[in-house]
Amino acid sequence: MKKRVTGLVLTAAMGVSMLSGTTVFGADNELEFYHGYYHEESEWPAAKVMRDIYDEFAKAHADGPVKFKPIAVENRDEIVSAQVAGGSFPDLVDCGTAVPQAAISQGLVYDLKPYIDENNLQDAVGLNYTQNDVDGHIYSVHDQMESRGIWYNADVFEKAGIKIEDLKDWDAFGEAMEKVRGLDDGTYGYAAGQGSGFIVNAILASSEEGRAMIEAPLTEEAVNSEVFAEAFKTAATLDQANGSEHTTEDVGNLMDDFNKNGTAAVLFNGVWNASGIDAGLAEAIQPSLFPGNIAISSAGAGLTVANGMSEEKTELALEFIKYMTSEEVQAKIFTGVQANPCNTKVDLNKLAEESGDAITMKLAEACSMVNDAEIVVKDMNYSWGADVKSAIINALMECAVSGTDIDARFEQLQKELIALIA
Amino acid sequence: MKNKLSRRRKAFIMAFLAPTLIAFCVFYLYPILTVFLTSFCKWDYTNITNPEFFGWKEMWSNYDYIFNIYPYFWEALKNSAVWALLGVVVQIPIATLIALAFSRKVKGIKTIRNIYIIPNMISSAAMGMIFLQLYSPLYGVVNPVIQNFDKGFSENILLLKGPAFWAITGAYIFFTGTTTLMILGNVMAVPEEIREAAMLDGVSGIKQDWYITIPMIKGTLKTVSILAATSGFLLYNEVFFLTKGAAGTYSISYVIRELAITSPRTQFGRANAVAVIQILAGMLIIVAVNIIYSISFKKNRKA
Repeated sequence: MKKRVTGLVLTAAMGVSMLSGTTVFGADNELEFYHGYYHEESEWPAAKVMRDIYDEFAKAHADGPVKFKPIAVENRDEIVSAQVAGGSFPDLVDCGTAVPQAAISQGLVYDLKPYIDENNLQDAVGLNYTQNDVDGHIYSVHDQMESRGIWYNADVFEKAGIKIEDLKDWDAFGEAMEKVRGLDDGTYGYAAGQGSGFIVNAILASSEEGRAMIEAPLTEEAVNSEVFAEAFKTAATLDQANGSEHTTEDVGNLMDDFNKNGTAAVLFNGVWNASGIDAGLAEAIQPSLFPGNIAISSAGAGLTVANGMSEEKTELALEFIKYMTSEEVQAKIFTGVQANPCNTKVDLNKLAEESGDAITMKLAEACSMVNDAEIVVKDMNYSWGADVKSAIINALMECAVSGTDIDARFEQLQKELIALIA
Repeated sequence: MKNKLSRRRKAFIMAFLAPTLIAFCVFYLYPILTVFLTSFCKWDYTNITNPEFFGWKEMWSNYDYIFNIYPYFWEALKNSAVWALLGVVVQIPIATLIALAFSRKVKGIKTIRNIYIIPNMISSAAMGMIFLQLYSPLYGVVNPVIQNFDKGFSENILLLKGPAFWAITGAYIFFTGTTTLMILGNVMAVPEEIREAAMLDGVSGIKQDWYITIPMIKGTLKTVSILAATSGFLLYNEVFFLTKGAAGTYSISYVIRELAITSPRTQFGRANAVAVIQILAGMLIIVAVNIIYSISFKKNRKA
């Protein structure tokens, strides 16, 4: 009898603990915020700056009805995917990739547009306001822009007799890379592969038709268009001349050649590359735009709020977005995280001058160039999808091998893309 | 009384089997059934929590897409099948030879065994990164070797159709630590008396391995062959870290990820159609290895 009673008590205790476990998850007095700044300060100092920004907000709301709880995770996008597949969404998350369409179609994410409009936050959210507009709704706000142009080594350019202002189009760019190869001292043009995806992106951006294609989901008509064919074949021809030995599916694999060794003339990377430049090359490495005064700048995904939370929790989540896009926090993101802030009111050059830091000044220069570019388009990854971009990059990488028939590979790519979007 | 005892014994056995059976049903059977059933459903970002059956007329839609439209399926199936085959015909003989060598009583063999096992403690992801450096055309070790035969060679072998496949194969096929240990354990378990009897009959060294040891460990060889074939068939990390499917190197596992995760359209239904084929192919591999072993050892017995 005693054993039975003990067994019953234990079972009841287990049941209660399981039930309490499920109720604690997503409690109404706590706003859980998943973000990806989990790195040690020694590994990536910017992560600590971001965590401090979050902690300050948590501290300021410690006495409120809802506590703010930042949670640093390595797999935030997988957490989102798993929850969306189960019909739910984390309270608040800094999405690394695009907000899943499945979450939008199920109504799992909160429309931020009314809040932005009511509080006149259009300038504070910057590019998010136009780029993240989905049929009149805004589901995410990224506090920093993914802004890209080109970085070039001025010493290598001078040695090869190239002037940056001469790179007006991609033909001129190709000729310049030919001159770099002509130096015959081990210096090469650029890290192709992942970077070449941005060449296609930038070439498409140079025409109105191409820009319209990037802004919308990929269609069969776009795949079969002349504009797309020209963009791919131009990039593939440049890549083949550049050589497959300088081609990688992850630009990070060859980044040191540019930032530390000085053996690559050009790097297609974001403005954040400013912080990776070796002190010895700080004078030589300069930012610029893609030929044709073009920049690729994406709001990306970013802060996304769950739909259907309690009023207090939603209020706190919205306040957090206001806080993250405020000029004060945006200034910290610029100087401390070395990223392009989304708030268009922040005077980057003034902040850089005040800091007196050479890297921050270079970052300001790069950000200003991108922000003032004649044409600013988003990364095709966000409108066409990662699988489409990956297929394009794979095709470009294969074309980098000398002797590859670019026309034949393009025809194959067209078939692949049409099948992928089917 | 006897019946009661027998019933109690059965209940006792069932009680002990129950946790495993429940775990099997919850963690294996249920997901497999779900994968199978949803492979006949429209299940993507538009209806993520509510897969819809296509209807009897269109129930093969996902399979039709995978077989006839999706550009990487046949390439992935062929690659995965070849990797499965290579697992059996390359990995197992290598592991067996090494295990037989390790079973010899030679000075220092224990240290060599320990050293041999070290690379197997490195994750396949880290191995992928190591091989990425080895294959680098700028500072890797493979291109200088090729340049001995072809002076002007400067291409990235991970981007060459054909060589890229073999480069991925090379990044995993020689890491046979676990398989070697399993075979070695069995080789060591062959009774000493049998070896001594063989010695008295004048059979020693390689002959003894061929006629005595290998036939006695055929059960283990069959098991490790199945494991090697299935892990070859499921290859993923090497593809992800070395090529991301470029130059004709897609694998079945990589394709599933592309459809379910990479695609912004979250194509769970189509991914599950590939997964069903993967499961069926895995079962086919098990049957094939069983048949091959029973035929080959029957022949040996007759000989």
